[in-house]
Amino acid sequence: MQSTAYRFSVRGCFLLAALLLTSHLFAHTINYVLEKAPTGHVVWYYLKLGFRHIIPQGFDHILFVIGLCLLSTKIKTILWQATAFTVAHSITLALSMKNMIVAPGAVVEPIIALSILFVAVENMLLTELKPWRVLIVFMFGLIHGMGFASALNETGLPRNNFFTSILSFNLGVELGQVAVIVGVFALIIFPFGKKDGYRKKLVYPLSILIALIAAYWTIARVFL
Amino acid sequence: MKKNTIYTIVLVLFIAAIGFIIFKYNNDEKRQAAAIYSLQDRKAIAQPEEWESTRKRADALLTAVKANPADTKSLNALAGLFIQEARVTGNYVYYDMAAMKYINDVLKTDSNNFDALTLKSLIYLSQHHFADGLAAAQKAQSINPYNAFVYGILVDGNVEMGNYDSAIAKADKMVSIRPDIRSYSRISYLREIYGDYAGAIEAMKLAVQAGIPGDETTEWARVQLGHLYENSGDLKNAEMYYTLALNARSSYAYAVAGMARIAMAAKDYSKAIVLYGKADSLVNDYSFKEELVDAYKLSGDNDKAMAIANRVIEGMSKDAQQGQNNDNIGHYADRELAYAYLKVNNYDKALEHALAEYNRRPDNIDVNETLAWVYYCKGDFAKALPYAAVALKTGSKNPTLLCRTGLIYSKTGDKVQAKKLLQQALMNNANIAVNLKADGINTLQTL
Repeated sequence: MQSTAYRFSVRGCFLLAALLLTSHLFAHTINYVLEKAPTGHVVWYYLKLGFRHIIPQGFDHILFVIGLCLLSTKIKTILWQATAFTVAHSITLALSMKNMIVAPGAVVEPIIALSILFVAVENMLLTELKPWRVLIVFMFGLIHGMGFASALNETGLPRNNFFTSILSFNLGVELGQVAVIVGVFALIIFPFGKKDGYRKKLVYPLSILIALIAAYWTIARVFL
Repeated sequence: MKKNTIYTIVLVLFIAAIGFIIFKYNNDEKRQAAAIYSLQDRKAIAQPEEWESTRKRADALLTAVKANPADTKSLNALAGLFIQEARVTGNYVYYDMAAMKYINDVLKTDSNNFDALTLKSLIYLSQHHFADGLAAAQKAQSINPYNAFVYGILVDGNVEMGNYDSAIAKADKMVSIRPDIRSYSRISYLREIYGDYAGAIEAMKLAVQAGIPGDETTEWARVQLGHLYENSGDLKNAEMYYTLALNARSSYAYAVAGMARIAMAAKDYSKAIVLYGKADSLVNDYSFKEELVDAYKLSGDNDKAMAIANRVIEGMSKDAQQGQNNDNIGHYADRELAYAYLKVNNYDKALEHALAEYNRRPDNIDVNETLAWVYYCKGDFAKALPYAAVALKTGSKNPTLLCRTGLIYSKTGDKVQAKKLLQQALMNNANIAVNLKADGINTLQTL
């Protein structure tokens, strides 16, 4: 099973890479106001923007992170996945903002929804962390990073604090994710994780709910 | 069924779904690339001969493009024709997309094509992507520094980005190369920005004289001339120029809207409603609907006013959303949306949009005026003040601006500045929004 999953994961990578290579490039938006602002102000602005992009605006990202947490009650499991996701979305966010890769929203947004659906379904099929899950989460992180870039592009970036603003935005996103993870552990995993029937009574229903929402989003983002 | 098998099936379905999304996207892109955009019927035909000749020209160009998709001259000509048609009909969403498609076709084979770059910058400006428009125009100028038209776009781009000194330099260059309706109207606009209404009127008269009567461009200039008179408080002359524009180009929507403003000034709201309704039926322009909202409010029909205001917000938001899904349409309408949300008293959304526009154009006086006014309407007077100060930086004598900023200074306790601004705003009895004028008069009496 591992080899099949791995092979498919790699194939998925090629599909996405092919798409990215064929995309045309365009310039990112410039935020002229923040070009005149002190660096501290810029850092705080993008940090808040990144955090807000997860809480409360990024309901899809919140569901994805909840999905990652539901696989297992072990902290190590979520740490592996969160790290893979973070590294991946940091890479594509930086590359996107430097215009080195551009993926159209018409592709990125449905795949983000699909990734939430996949993680939710996988939670019902797996009980522990498998190496390919980390790889798949890494791939999803690449896609989510491009989604973050599109959000960041709406606000624009100051040219004189380009990397500082990206790093601050990314840090804000991380803090948002950590807040979601802490919330899931505090409200679900710590109180109920060790109890009998945890998976049947909580993981399965929650995963089904997440899967249904994500399925709707996928269809809506492709066809509507 | 074993879990392993189910997992493999899920994985296959998942990868197939990704493949489908990419395939669908590529297909849509190919379809868009192969699409042939033709002329659409006008809502109203003001000049039957002009419409006939436009249609014939569009047909000939489309035939040429179909026969030879690499015919850059015809592609550019078709894009130019669509850009003009967008002006005439107000259907910017369709024609901007169509023109941009043909321009991109040219730029794919020749990235330094001067005409295509110039037209692209023009579309960017029409979509309110001013920084991009300016950049494209600068590239075009570097290719051909002796073309007056591109200097016109540079004037517009610099004005919109708030680089007023550069705009003046480009306007001087433009008029030195080619003194015509385009250059004179830009000089008029710059003089207005710097508070010289007499000079602005003089230049706009030259612009009108330089144009062919009945042409959309000429009548647009004539309507601008009328509007300058309105802002100077000379409603008789304003009405005369709107009438002349209507004589030269029957049912010209912007002249009809001008007559509606004259009716508003005479407090004849039912006539204004009819005229705004007529203007709105002639072209797609949300500004007519917004003015219709004010007319209904003043006539006491608040329900109707709110219904139209909400439709305006819905329509603008829909257009903006379309832009996010299609790179060829993207239209920033944040400043317009800020005002639209003010009309329905949704100050938070108004502020959100005003700030979005301000982030893009912090040096533009109109954008600063918008942000200042949104803060004022929210009751956040101290926050409004610095933006009001920037809005006044060129010395503009626009009565709406003077009245708004006068009210802001009054609320922040600067009575001297408030009095000065309100007196300037009201001294000529300019034709500005009725409620604003009333607020200005009432406040001035307390100073």
